[in-house]
Amino acid sequence: MIAELAMQAALALIAASSPAGHWKAVLELAGGQLPFVVVVEPAGRGWKGQLCNGTKCEPFSAVRMRGDSLVLEIADYDATLTGLLRADSLTGYYRNVGSRGPRTIPFRAERGRVPTPLGGRRLLGRWDATYFQDLGTSPRVLEFRNEPDGFQGRMITSTSDYGPFTGSVVGDSFAIGLFDGSFVYLLTGKLQGDTLRGIFHAGLRTQTPWIAVRSTGAPHLESPSEISRADTTEPLRFAFPDLNGQLFRSDDARLRGKVVLVDIFGSWCPTCHDATPELLRLYRKYRGRGLEIVGLAFESTGDTAVDARQVRRYRDKFKIPFPLLLAGVNDNQSVAAALPQLSDVTAFPTAVFLGRDGRVRRIHAGFHGLAAGPQHARMVRDFETEIERLLEEKRER
Amino acid sequence: MLRMLPFLLLTSTLAAQLPPDVAMERSGFVAWLKKAPNSPLAAVARRMVDDGVRLGPEDADIPLPGTDEYRLYPATGGYVLEGPGGKHPIGRGRPYKIGRYALYLSGPEPATVLTVFAGAPEKEPPGYYDYDPAMVFTGPLTRADAPRKSRVLTAEGFEVEASEIGTFLVPLGGRTPLRVLRIPVPGSDESDLEIFFQDKTNDHGSYPAGRFVSLVPARDGSFRLDFNRSRNPFCAYSSAYPCPLPWRGNQIADSVRAGERYTGGGLESIPAAEDGK
Repeated sequence: MIAELAMQAALALIAASSPAGHWKAVLELAGGQLPFVVVVEPAGRGWKGQLCNGTKCEPFSAVRMRGDSLVLEIADYDATLTGLLRADSLTGYYRNVGSRGPRTIPFRAERGRVPTPLGGRRLLGRWDATYFQDLGTSPRVLEFRNEPDGFQGRMITSTSDYGPFTGSVVGDSFAIGLFDGSFVYLLTGKLQGDTLRGIFHAGLRTQTPWIAVRSTGAPHLESPSEISRADTTEPLRFAFPDLNGQLFRSDDARLRGKVVLVDIFGSWCPTCHDATPELLRLYRKYRGRGLEIVGLAFESTGDTAVDARQVRRYRDKFKIPFPLLLAGVNDNQSVAAALPQLSDVTAFPTAVFLGRDGRVRRIHAGFHGLAAGPQHARMVRDFETEIERLLEEKRER
Repeated sequence: MLRMLPFLLLTSTLAAQLPPDVAMERSGFVAWLKKAPNSPLAAVARRMVDDGVRLGPEDADIPLPGTDEYRLYPATGGYVLEGPGGKHPIGRGRPYKIGRYALYLSGPEPATVLTVFAGAPEKEPPGYYDYDPAMVFTGPLTRADAPRKSRVLTAEGFEVEASEIGTFLVPLGGRTPLRVLRIPVPGSDESDLEIFFQDKTNDHGSYPAGRFVSLVPARDGSFRLDFNRSRNPFCAYSSAYPCPLPWRGNQIADSVRAGERYTGGGLESIPAAEDGK
């Protein structure tokens, strides 16, 4: 009897020290907790896992135990979640490295599945929001829905959409987060009368207050084609190394006489990950008629070895057949310096459409992902219309 | 009383223990300083490119012992490095190797800056004061009536447009209101509330020009200032970086024995406090 009890206790201990299972996780931001889900399961002699925001899950690139700690790697963003494993808890840090050095944010998790709360009717729908920054305001659209896995939100800017945000909703209040290894966002809000008021938390300690009223249908955001501008009198010129270190110029034979979509992106940018499958679809559809795509990567660290590794990983993840070039680091000044013929490029990704003569015809800042529904469909239609129109232009160079 | 002594000793020891989040932050940063190829500890030269920069010979703008002569200059669509092997375009944020040196272009256009790094850092990171829980302060941020733009140098030595958002009062040197600026993080929605301060330890254990510390918003609407997280501007790691002018009014008439230390020289290049801001 004693031996049996001892065996049961030992088995329970082994099970308790296994990282396998569903974990309710949070990042401890200065202003609140950003919720997300970690799922770990056995794989051969090791482990595999996923990072989930609602039903949107991405696999960790590696899951391993290091001593008493569980290490979850998010290679796409050169990031790591490390947590000391106790029976039912993980306590540790999220960490990634940028050009200013590493940033760390406290992380913890407890075993269990997250509830799937539904939002009240008064919260659901589309809201025109105004974010209050120190020196002015900026517009956003917030959209809230009840999905099979609970209350979800999206945040749409003039250049991109962020989502899904998932988390908790109680009555007229909510705290929903988005964490994918790169974006660290928490949106909290409360309905007061007919007005939503809340805080947008970005990273460990940036907090931006906002208010929102129900959308009337009138345009609230600036059009993506009105944000960035270009010198359209000359062909767009650039010259950057490809992933083999070979210099690739804008007058390369591969681009000459073609309609070219220049994709300004970064492997660190989740919206760029959302956009790439659509670019690949366009490439497959129009390449035979004269479309070429070239990706200009603006990366995080400024360390060529690290940045090239990240872009190669990005290329391999999506099986990208068009050239990807290492163009610079991910700040607006770097883009401005690398592409001096463009101005006000502030969004990642940004699509620059070149005619067959190499001159800029259109710039689309940002990307609305599949989940943005009608906005995504309209943007895809616009892209196709633009490409078709440019393909019909006479060959001039 | 004697029976209470172990308890008092224990609480005293516990109070000085390094909190895990501070320990993690420090170890990660020290590892980056020691190993990253663009660690500021490995920087040997930094210069505005303007019309061009000559590198290599002893009389060049940037002498690089053991290398041939090179010239870096702006060209259509970017910058070109011209040397014995011909002309090579250089992108921003991408290192270009010349022997043991790596050249990086960075900084806000048109003020493009060339930084030269020399292999792995040879210097050791400067280290930290013991953690002092008495150097953590919580309180309100007194907002400016009308925040205004202010051009300042960041800890990394880049000039940016920040916004002056208010002051935070610390009970050191009497009561010192410290100016707080919001400094944007390039390429993100994030920003930091930063305080660049000077105190009595400057040149006596801490960096003479002063140190940066972030003001962190708390969940109850207050703000937390932890001087144990004070950090040096990059000019403390290498004289290649320009030092930010000390912010007027942010001089603490007391010793802040917390945060990052400094044991090197460099006193001759420390500017006086800025005037007129």
